[in-house]
Amino acid sequence: MDSKGSACSNPNPNPTFGPSKLMLAFRFLRALSIVHRTTPASSPTCRGRRIERAAYASMAYSAGTSRAWSRAVLRRLHHRARRRAVAPRRLSTTAGNRAEALRRLVPGGAGMDYCTLLEETADYTKCLSMQVELMQGIVDSASSNGR
Amino acid sequence: MDPPSLMPRLPEMCRFPMLGMPPRELAPRVGRIGGDALVEESTVTEQCGRSKGRRRRRDPPSSGGATEDESSKLVSTSSGNELTEAEAKRLKAIKSTDGNDNIKSEAEASSGICNKLAAQNPQTTEPPKQDYIHVRARRGQATDSHSLAERARREKISEKMKILQDLVPGCNKVIGKASVLDEIINYIQALQCQVEFLSMKLEAVNSPMNTTIEVFPSKDFSSQRYDTTSSLGYSSQTREYEQGSGTEWLHMQVGGTFERVT
Repeated sequence: MDSKGSACSNPNPNPTFGPSKLMLAFRFLRALSIVHRTTPASSPTCRGRRIERAAYASMAYSAGTSRAWSRAVLRRLHHRARRRAVAPRRLSTTAGNRAEALRRLVPGGAGMDYCTLLEETADYTKCLSMQVELMQGIVDSASSNGR
Repeated sequence: MDPPSLMPRLPEMCRFPMLGMPPRELAPRVGRIGGDALVEESTVTEQCGRSKGRRRRRDPPSSGGATEDESSKLVSTSSGNELTEAEAKRLKAIKSTDGNDNIKSEAEASSGICNKLAAQNPQTTEPPKQDYIHVRARRGQATDSHSLAERARREKISEKMKILQDLVPGCNKVIGKASVLDEIINYIQALQCQVEFLSMKLEAVNSPMNTTIEVFPSKDFSSQRYDTTSSLGYSSQTREYEQGSGTEWLHMQVGGTFERVT
């Protein structure tokens, strides 16, 4: 995750998407190539997990450190916690405690007040949907090219 | 009020460098202010987080700090039952002007004519800053500090909720805060699951190409030709290949995927 300057200095021929999306694409693709180069192909689950981690890391890096959720993701990433980079998936969204569910979903949302939590959720959702679009595009093009 | 009642407020004011001010000038002014003026001070403006720090920072080293503090107190004491627009405007004026104007406006405020001041001051008002949220109580609404703060907080929350509603597709038709939150939670969960699923899929899709990646050394520029032929254009999207055809591939690819977003 170095070399941010190269992508920034690259003149953008397509004005419809901003630099952050471009940055996200660059980071994720580079991380993907690194994962493919370094991880042995014999362990698909490990590799899939690494790709997932790379996806979240590239998201967090392109969001910058001004956001609490990206800081939380990066902190978890650097400290190599036993937990995954994402909160546990199966949540019981109990009727009264939706804010708690949101807190567990958004990384770093544990100690936030409600207002900040909503703000972070908005940003996180935006980045996450961007990332999903990007990955979907890669999968589509790779599968269409491979055949 | 007599000097002993002044004592509990004095330490708070002595934090400002106002020692040059003679105390007998202070005494009548403070004495006019009601007992709970200090509490009321925060009711009029809800300033996001850093009201004290900013005020202290902006103060000139002369007696500006004390006067500004007191002037806001004066405003709040006069806000008995309803917080009119004139008062809000006047407060803005007081906040935005510097120390000298504060002294002047404070002298006018102590004369107790609110509307006259509001008519005199608009030339000094600046456009309102973003981090002030002026809470205005309507008729019949509570004006104590907790109610005002809570109202401001609720307004902020609903604003954020509206932003979130715009982000999450299909969330605009949902009525009710709880169901909106449910939608948001479901959407985020779905997105996270999709990231997991797509990473598995990416692993499965790209695993036969792994050998071709390893063929290319990372700095080998002559391998640029292969990028167009192989479907691996993105994998060599390191900074060495920005002028290559792979970049165009990426732009095409990313542009295609993101045009739906924007």
